[in-house]
Amino acid sequence: MSTTTETVTQMVTPTASLKLSTSSIALPQPSCSSQSQMQALSSARASAQSQASSNSISPAAPAHAKSAIYSANANFQRNTKLNDANTIPNPNSDPNTNLNAPKSQKQMTKAERREQQEAQRAAKATAKTTASQSGTSSSKPTSTHKQSASVSGKGAAYPSAATPKKPGKGQDWKPAKGETKEGAYPHLQMDETPRGLRIFSHFGAPKPPAVTKGDIHPAIIRLGLQFAAFKITGANARCIAMLTAFKTVIQDYVTPPNNTLSRHLMVQLSPQITHLVSARPMSVTMGNAIRQMKLEISGSDIDLPEQDAKNALCDTIDNYIRDRILLADQVIQETAGSKIKDGDVILTYARSSVVEKVLLHSWADGKRFSVIIVDSRPMLEGKALLKSLTAASIPCTYLLLPSLPSVLPHTTTLFVGAHSLHANGAVFSRAGTAMVAMMAKSRSIPVVVCCETYKFAEGIRWDGVSKNELAPTPFPPSSTSNSSSQHNLAIKMNPNLSMLSPLYDLTPPSCITAVVTEVGIIPPSSISSIPGALGRVTIGA
Amino acid sequence: MATEPSSAENHRVVESLAARLRRRQVVGSRETALETVFVLRQVVSKARFSNIDQLVEIIRSVGRKLVEAQPKEYTVGNTVRKVLHHIREEYHTASQGTTASSTPKPSFSIAKFVSQGQPRKQATPQKTSHETRGMLKENNPDDPDAFARTLKPVLMEAIQDVFDELETVYDNISKNAKDHIHSDEIILTIGKSSTVEAFLKSAAPYRKYTAIVADTAPSYSGQEMAQSLSSAGISTVLVPDSSIYALMSRINKVILGAHAILANGGMFAITGSLLVATAARAHSTPVVVCAGQFKLTPQWNLYHEYGALDFADPSSVLGFEEGDLVDKVDVVNPFYDYVRPEMIDAYVTNDGDHPPSSVYRLIKEAYDDEDYEL
Repeated sequence: MSTTTETVTQMVTPTASLKLSTSSIALPQPSCSSQSQMQALSSARASAQSQASSNSISPAAPAHAKSAIYSANANFQRNTKLNDANTIPNPNSDPNTNLNAPKSQKQMTKAERREQQEAQRAAKATAKTTASQSGTSSSKPTSTHKQSASVSGKGAAYPSAATPKKPGKGQDWKPAKGETKEGAYPHLQMDETPRGLRIFSHFGAPKPPAVTKGDIHPAIIRLGLQFAAFKITGANARCIAMLTAFKTVIQDYVTPPNNTLSRHLMVQLSPQITHLVSARPMSVTMGNAIRQMKLEISGSDIDLPEQDAKNALCDTIDNYIRDRILLADQVIQETAGSKIKDGDVILTYARSSVVEKVLLHSWADGKRFSVIIVDSRPMLEGKALLKSLTAASIPCTYLLLPSLPSVLPHTTTLFVGAHSLHANGAVFSRAGTAMVAMMAKSRSIPVVVCCETYKFAEGIRWDGVSKNELAPTPFPPSSTSNSSSQHNLAIKMNPNLSMLSPLYDLTPPSCITAVVTEVGIIPPSSISSIPGALGRVTIGA
Repeated sequence: MATEPSSAENHRVVESLAARLRRRQVVGSRETALETVFVLRQVVSKARFSNIDQLVEIIRSVGRKLVEAQPKEYTVGNTVRKVLHHIREEYHTASQGTTASSTPKPSFSIAKFVSQGQPRKQATPQKTSHETRGMLKENNPDDPDAFARTLKPVLMEAIQDVFDELETVYDNISKNAKDHIHSDEIILTIGKSSTVEAFLKSAAPYRKYTAIVADTAPSYSGQEMAQSLSSAGISTVLVPDSSIYALMSRINKVILGAHAILANGGMFAITGSLLVATAARAHSTPVVVCAGQFKLTPQWNLYHEYGALDFADPSSVLGFEEGDLVDKVDVVNPFYDYVRPEMIDAYVTNDGDHPPSSVYRLIKEAYDDEDYEL
């Protein structure tokens, strides 16, 4: 425990003291603390990019940055983490509720706690006291929920519904609501309220924050922040970013004495992976890549000099990115591009990096077609695609999902991307894709999914509810009308109202005409045979 | 026509409503229907006519004007048709006196019903043949206003009937709400339909259910709806449109509002309705439409095409804050979707629940055949 703190402190010696002081003082202004924290980190890593991202993260999504920062904190002050988990997000997340009052008191207790802990750390008696203190402090917010349940209990619970990515918080409020239901409020309405949510309560499954063991590399912490703030989204982007970060981790890794790289590196890497997963649930692509990486690490030669082994691993990671993602995309561009003819009207939903590449490549090839971009909340990612396509002067039409039926008569082909593909041929993709595919299919418009084979997931899914993730900002205030943002404000006050915003949905194979992969165009019914044809290099190894 | 001299002041009311319809200052099917009734009441109360045909022509000309102002507000035309229907009925009872009751409805048969519309129709030709008896005298050369004077009180009553129907429409629709909504159900709705709102709220005291409301871009009226439902004590979940398909497998029933119900049993409704209805079909979830009978429109539509829809201002989809994007992009923002009758399981109206296949019959009962074209 103390050794991990020391290793980090060694790495960032000039700023370590500053860090501890900022995190203890600057709690009321989380964005400020997150910035200084990030700057400390980035100076340690000597990376300008990190600073840029920290600056852009803090104003946009302070809540996420905060929660992730918290997990960054956790590594430096491991003893306080359980308490922080319960105190930090709660008072700061919604300044409107009556939790304002407990806020100052909690800060005080936190400071006290830190004093105590620092004294006790010397005495090596930390574990017991932390446990008891966290026990008492964690019961506090729950009781607050209970007491104020009818007036503002739900209101207090609301922000966690709105920002469900906040790990730990979500778990905090759901049981609180359950207690409300059974306990002092036998109102029928209150009785009923959780029911609709109970069905969807597993969405996102927020994990308790940063119960990370061991030492988290700063590159991973930065990546975790970017994941949590949705600065890096998309299955491909996240996978590439993760592998790149792992390369840094591997290069900075030093095999401890009496250990071999092939056995110990994974021990070093798994807390990094856990940290990333706590920032945002792992994508299928990341899982496949990690599985492959584990295979490579365990297979690396024991007799190889350490640096050579690390270089070899980095090379395999580079190869993986090149072969399975970048080259695969190029092949898909060619293959899918061959299905686009002059005069076609291509429909696409939200933004898929592969589809974007296909369209741009095809346009550069001299094909003349137009594109209809359908978009929807919560992410409104289609605007980014719209920008890049109009920059290439491709004629575009933009509309929101409900308006889709009015453009279908003019559409010739639908291209969509995927988050993952399942053995039964179902495509797990951005929420709304299923609807677009269904409408296109009902009008006999070919539905083409562009997807690299490394996105193939083993196992079968029946619907989008069984496993899903929640969007970061379910109802961003509408940029156009002030009225709707006012509604948003008013909505928060209502105890019967909750919000739910899944990030993905599942398109059934019946709605899919073909899947374009780097190994060819296949019908959805043949998806299950692809991993076998590839020699099971990644799937279920 | 006879309208021209007598309608100087009428025109002001009519023009004003026509202008407001054109500018979309009056929107929503019930709102426009109510406004139309008000205008017609004023028109009739001030109209000068000496026989029924003149009166019908006056009302029709007003109706034509209003419909031309905003052809997509179907309830304007419907209200005019309904008023005409009531006026004819009142006229016939007034002019008949005893004869109406003396011609009993002979026998019900499908063939007669289909060929002649409502049972009442069988009596009318005879009635008009031996014209104006009793106290009612049309085209009286001595006193041209005598006919109008005698008839106006009943006409006002007839118009009041139409008005009353519009007034009570929500109550009558939601009367049976608790028979449609069961405990522990999860119900999906989109947008903000006052009818659906009243329907869901009236079931709330009896049934504990969850309402899922899609926020329905680009108006995001679903947020308002969610707000209103939750403040009435209904546990409400607000979801974005994109998640409808994912959640549909957990939804027991879809309840939608309508903008206009067409003669083939299809309907025009807020954009997004077709998506929801199709997703519901894919999951075999029942789709129930709550709508007043004033939305029944004697028109057909078979295709979802540009001409049938109505397009709104694109700024709510892609605003000017997007900068130069606005210049390069076509933005589509229709008001309505056309939902085919196969997508709908039932219409819950203020006069009973009906399958889409029997809408044509309701329309035959509600309007006179000769008014289909105003």
